Amino acid sequence: MAAKGTPTTAEETWALRRPERRLLLSALMIALLGYLMLLGARPKDGFAVQLADWAPLLVFAAAFGAVHGAFVIARFRGDQLVLPTTALLSAFGLLAQVRMGLFGETEPDWMELVLLPVALAALVLVALAGRAGRYAMARRATWFWAGLSLLILGVLLVTGQRFRGAVYAVGFITPTELLKLTLVLFTAGFIDQHLKALSRWRSLLPPLRRLWPLLLVWGLVTALLLMQRDLGLVLILGVALLVMLVAGTGQPGYAIYGLALAAGAGAALISLFSHGQRRLAVWLDPFADPTGAGWQVLQGLSGMFAGGLWGEGFSEARPRYAPIAESDFIYSVLAEELGYVGSLLLIAVFAVLFIRLLTLAARARTPFGLMVTIGITSVLAVQTLLNLGGVTKALPLTGITLPMISHGGSSLVTVFASLGLVLAISDGEPVKPRAKATAVKKTKTSSSKAPAGGKRRAPSSRAKAGTGRKA
Amino acid sequence: MDLLNALFSSAPWGPVRIGLHLTFGIVLLYWLWLAYQLRQAVHLRHLKRPRAWLLPAAGLVVLAFIAILAYQATWQLGGTARPRFVAFMQSHDRRQFNPAHWIQRGRILDRHGRVLAESRNRDGAAERVYPYGPVFAHAVGYADPRFGLSGIEATANLALNGSMLDSLDDWGELGRQVLTQSKRPRGQDRVTTFDASLQRFAVDALSAAPGGGSGAVLLLRPADGAVLVMASVPSFDPNRLQADLFNARDPATPLLNRATQGQYPPGSTFKVVMAAQALERGFSGRLDCPANGYTTSRHYPPIRDHEYYSAQDAGGSWAGHGPLDLATALAKSSNVFFAQLGVLGGHSALAAIGERLLFNRSIAFAGGASKALSFQTGRLPSIPKRDRYGLAQASIGQGRVTATPAHLALIAAAIANDGLAMRPRLLRDAEPQALAQLMSSETARRLRVMLRRAVRDGTGRGIDTDGLEIAGKTGTAENPHGASHSWFVGFAPASSPSLAFAVLVEHGGYGSAVAAPLARDLLVKAAEQGLL
Repeated sequence: MAAKGTPTTAEETWALRRPERRLLLSALMIALLGYLMLLGARPKDGFAVQLADWAPLLVFAAAFGAVHGAFVIARFRGDQLVLPTTALLSAFGLLAQVRMGLFGETEPDWMELVLLPVALAALVLVALAGRAGRYAMARRATWFWAGLSLLILGVLLVTGQRFRGAVYAVGFITPTELLKLTLVLFTAGFIDQHLKALSRWRSLLPPLRRLWPLLLVWGLVTALLLMQRDLGLVLILGVALLVMLVAGTGQPGYAIYGLALAAGAGAALISLFSHGQRRLAVWLDPFADPTGAGWQVLQGLSGMFAGGLWGEGFSEARPRYAPIAESDFIYSVLAEELGYVGSLLLIAVFAVLFIRLLTLAARARTPFGLMVTIGITSVLAVQTLLNLGGVTKALPLTGITLPMISHGGSSLVTVFASLGLVLAISDGEPVKPRAKATAVKKTKTSSSKAPAGGKRRAPSSRAKAGTGRKA
Repeated sequence: MDLLNALFSSAPWGPVRIGLHLTFGIVLLYWLWLAYQLRQAVHLRHLKRPRAWLLPAAGLVVLAFIAILAYQATWQLGGTARPRFVAFMQSHDRRQFNPAHWIQRGRILDRHGRVLAESRNRDGAAERVYPYGPVFAHAVGYADPRFGLSGIEATANLALNGSMLDSLDDWGELGRQVLTQSKRPRGQDRVTTFDASLQRFAVDALSAAPGGGSGAVLLLRPADGAVLVMASVPSFDPNRLQADLFNARDPATPLLNRATQGQYPPGSTFKVVMAAQALERGFSGRLDCPANGYTTSRHYPPIRDHEYYSAQDAGGSWAGHGPLDLATALAKSSNVFFAQLGVLGGHSALAAIGERLLFNRSIAFAGGASKALSFQTGRLPSIPKRDRYGLAQASIGQGRVTATPAHLALIAAAIANDGLAMRPRLLRDAEPQALAQLMSSETARRLRVMLRRAVRDGTGRGIDTDGLEIAGKTGTAENPHGASHSWFVGFAPASSPSLAFAVLVEHGGYGSAVAAPLARDLLVKAAEQGLL
């Protein structure tokens, strides 16, 4: 292994990022195997396989390859596990979406094809722009994020169109997806700026005098989201807020107050929204109206049962039985075709991603980095759990997509930009001249020529790293 | 591309695809292993040491995933344990390869192994066939994707679908089916306590009975509660279920299981209940039973004995019974005696014996955790304290008191079994289970003697058969809908009873003329099989 802290040349980074490359290549291999199975089923749908049918896989491989290349050239030293895990999850998404015919039946749909490269470009841009501690600039723009969040909601409220019970902007873009990033940034920034005050509780009461701007913005956002009946998003963001407050301030009291408030508000909302009541009723007894309200979830479960332990593989004609299977119910398609074993492995990959993200949060160098990372992690984790729970009937349906796997452009770009930010935070902090001066015990590797610079934490780690090839 | 297309449509593509599927899973596993192996290599030395909450937080996420996967398994792998889910898939899932279409439900057999229900394959789907048709329609029930489950098909559904896992072998079989994705899941057979030939005999006899041919028969073994016959006529054919059957308000109510749910005035059969009450109270002595009857007030018509009306019809007159003791009154089925007896005992004694004999309940058959198969007991509403005439009426089984054939059979069985009622059971493998001690064994012993006398010298003497030693009580229950219902309730042989029964013929007329001979014929048939 080369110098682990600060790679100085692209060559070093190439060696340093070998684990990422190996995992990426394995993920590609998995995508290829699945893709072959997929193409094998095409004749049963009545289409012969053409050269153009390979386009989605090639774009997929090229896009992730390019991200890795960009990281190497830029001598990026951030985390190496997030990208391959994301690639593997995206491979599942690719397979499921090709299976559902989203990339065009006979000719490739270019709009769909560019979605992944665009989202990955956002990931690279954010990761590289924010590395070496520069992400902290986002902290100063706290009120910009709050304004942007409210603006998105306001515009959507005026111009939005209603479809299947939710509000979309023009062209089925769902700009509310962006809130999952902007609100996390606002909240992390605000808490970070008032960290001391917010951590200091007087007996059992939170410092409301410092907390009220945060509560005001959140109240507004919640109200606007409820006007659009987006209960699922309220839930996701609410959990993220509580997690960030608790992790940032170290005050578990926020969670206790928050959960009590959420329980009360949840009960009130359920009694107010007939929409929510219906979903609750379907969850409790889908067989009460099997061909109406319960149809979707029961068809999904029927597919899973038909798939059994091993699944049928992508062998038969395309499953078309569960409505809107390509977005909310994509997991049931995967569980049907890859079987229980396949869904188990898929969930294991999700678990790897979340554990890694949690690790990065737990090891972040600044409270702001910690809160942003844990905020993004909890948004993704809650979204995943709500979707999986809804499809398997473990939880009521919330109409939420499965991150990285469900079809959805706005969601994909937001998720990838968020992961880019996490990667930027995992890059660590810039070298401070003072810190450099105290770390006198120079080793051969610690060349002062390092342009991006990088502060290493302990001399001991540097000593271990000093056996690198630069010697 | 042509090469690929040729490969995809060629015969070896099948195994190749399975190979790909397998490799896909293996490489995924390899990826996870690799990610684990590389955890040192991707260690980020320039970051801080992890904060303390990392482990609990990660544990929480993993736990949540495990919980979802576990719940998913109950649908994806154990879906057959959910009857409504299986029914949904059978009627609404168009996936040809869904195993729900192919489940070979276990057979339902009678005690001799005769098939009462089995699954056959027709046109690519499993079809349920009932060889006995309407004969077992209520008892065995039906399993239909459109109309759901009933009867034993409902209570034993889990086992029939192969998801009753009460032994290691059953788990092994489920595991084998899940692992191999068996396209023909096979359920377990269930053996009932029914006797198909006796049941068919009972149904035929009921259909041929006077008064329109409707009624019910319940025949069971007092010692262990095994039900041999549970017949209800009119019936329907579970092989040909139609929506009209469930929608139409057919006045004949073929869906109603008259044996378990039909509430009828018990008429004179209720005198058995009153006799039990009197014996438990320690009543002994005689009551005067004059020809002009008994009433509680001159505003109400007197309750008289049937001999009075017979004599009147014949244009003669009748002198009355005079003073009667309990045994004679029961044998002669004297209304005047029992009306007085009931009023003598009072309201609370009637309510007490109603409670003791399990009136106003719903009782599940043994062995089924599900409540889908149960029977109602009679209704004995509380009579207002000032209504003494109502009390007198109830004491002869008229007025507002009702009973179901299953309930009266249960009471007869308890008398036959020293007062202890065994919970009726329909499945051979259900453990015999005590239900309740309905009366003291001394009361039961004396009732056995009295009921034997009622057949030997009393109202039932027309059916007394050598060797059978039948004991029982006739009933002729007046009702507002037409001719009287004909009842016969009892057991045989009286000295050591092995069978108890209740026979009801709707609007059949006199109990001694219709229900009693039917019961006798059934017992003769049972004796031929060595059941007596």
